[in-house]
Amino acid sequence: MLNDSRARLASVSNMLARLSSVVLLGLAVTCVQAAEVVPSKSKAARPELGTSAAFAADGSLLVVAKQGEQVMLYRSTDEGRSWSAPAAVNAQSEAFSANGENRPKIAFAADGGLLVSWAHSFGAGHNGNIRLARADDGEHFGAPQTVHKDTAEITHSFESMLTTPDNKVILAWIDKRDSEAAKASQTPYRGSGIYAAVSNDGGRTFQPEFKLADHACECCRLTSALDRDGSPLFMWRHVYAPNERDHAIARLKPDGTLESVKRATFDRWQVDGCPHHGPSLVVDAQGVRHAVWFNQKEGDGHVYYGRLVAQGDELQVEGQLTVGGPRAAHADLGSAGGKLAIAWKEFDGERTQLQAMRSDDGGKTFRTQPLGATDGASDQPRVIRRGEALFAFWRTEKEGFRLFPLP
Amino acid sequence: MKKSAFAFLACLIAMPLQAADFTPLDKATARQLLDPASHRQPTIVALWSSDCSHCKKNLQLLSTLVKSNQRLRVITLAAEPETASLGPLLDRFQLPGPRYAYGSDNPDAIAYAIDPSWAGELPRTFFFNGAGQKEKVSGVISVQMAEKALGLRF
Repeated sequence: MLNDSRARLASVSNMLARLSSVVLLGLAVTCVQAAEVVPSKSKAARPELGTSAAFAADGSLLVVAKQGEQVMLYRSTDEGRSWSAPAAVNAQSEAFSANGENRPKIAFAADGGLLVSWAHSFGAGHNGNIRLARADDGEHFGAPQTVHKDTAEITHSFESMLTTPDNKVILAWIDKRDSEAAKASQTPYRGSGIYAAVSNDGGRTFQPEFKLADHACECCRLTSALDRDGSPLFMWRHVYAPNERDHAIARLKPDGTLESVKRATFDRWQVDGCPHHGPSLVVDAQGVRHAVWFNQKEGDGHVYYGRLVAQGDELQVEGQLTVGGPRAAHADLGSAGGKLAIAWKEFDGERTQLQAMRSDDGGKTFRTQPLGATDGASDQPRVIRRGEALFAFWRTEKEGFRLFPLP
Repeated sequence: MKKSAFAFLACLIAMPLQAADFTPLDKATARQLLDPASHRQPTIVALWSSDCSHCKKNLQLLSTLVKSNQRLRVITLAAEPETASLGPLLDRFQLPGPRYAYGSDNPDAIAYAIDPSWAGELPRTFFFNGAGQKEKVSGVISVQMAEKALGLRF
């Protein structure tokens, strides 16, 4: 590789030495001048901004983010105005993903244990393992464990973590074992599988993982919520035959086994590609399922909001509406105190804007409010709750962690 | 303006001779790269990323296409910053054209400069026939689609 480059450079030098044409020399000079205005070719890696935030029972704000090869935990007791010195979740460094659709996650087990999960990555693409660390006292983390038994060096990534009142911890993720097997046997297979693992003891130990579905989209984030009756729900972008990238919802039984998988959206975006745009789901106090997602419909891409309601054995979308403008992206939503809030980012041609939409009537009508903006890179926004209050959390490269109350 | 377009064209011509490294893409360069006036021969600008399996299908197809079409230029653009693993992923397709990766500008601004109607889905491919025409498509492409959009087949 290096030799190749040297050989090429040498051949360029030889060629340039032979050039006597004024025009070609002019070209070379122009290129040098042009190169000077190009930003310097820094090899310094850009920070991966994928971050999760949650309020603890005592009202403090906890944030997990990537620093080098460690998940760092930050605490704020004053709504993000000041932060504790970060503490490492994984004492031993390991590579993991915290960019775009992937990020470390944070949750609380019913027994008070603090849980942090992430997608350890090795090799190319999303090859890696789903990892979970637990701090019994909320501060001191034990060594992380891999939540699945499968040790193949394939994709296990984009996990979503859900905790239940009976101290279950359930993670579901994109898992390529079935697509790899299909490739090996030269059988066609759409997308990737979704697998889940259940812990009945607050994330200390996990039962063997099981498949929720075949044919999920390969690299969009998953989302999860507890249904009206407390049943776990996981939602993801699916690949319906032949190549419609709509969404699916799996409902688990109280014991953590699979009850059903149903189609949840019907926009019929046909593309053999990676949208890099996963959904978000919340179930409100009345038991209504609200979702936001991105899709192309009749050629135009939009973020959509809708309520996913039962219609016989199937689901249908009620009250579907467009969120934001044509560049709205990566929406999240939350529900608390009878309010529903959606936050998303939207590039306006100059800056990336953070916008929010709030509803006091269960998603029938919304009012939009700008929250902030940044000139630089930014993570996807998160909507988080503290008791009956909702907040938007947004990490931007220039400004850091930002918290916006959504009264 | 004309001078800068000329300089840009000149750089495009010179680039394949340089080391097979990634040029960081800023928003101004992105706008130029996606401007039909910058391309005076059939050219493909192919957006890809390391995590996009469908992108590899397109890069493989482009690798074949460029071998059978002497006039065709293929410019690759990774929609992510350069990392150590990026080069080897692209090297296997032996594409001779310039390779870019996202630079230090706001990634949202770079994406907007590439195409305001692009929402980040990959692969995303832009075809320039070299005579002012530009077409774009998301997802896996076919040889027929590419040759038609490039004006290599009528």
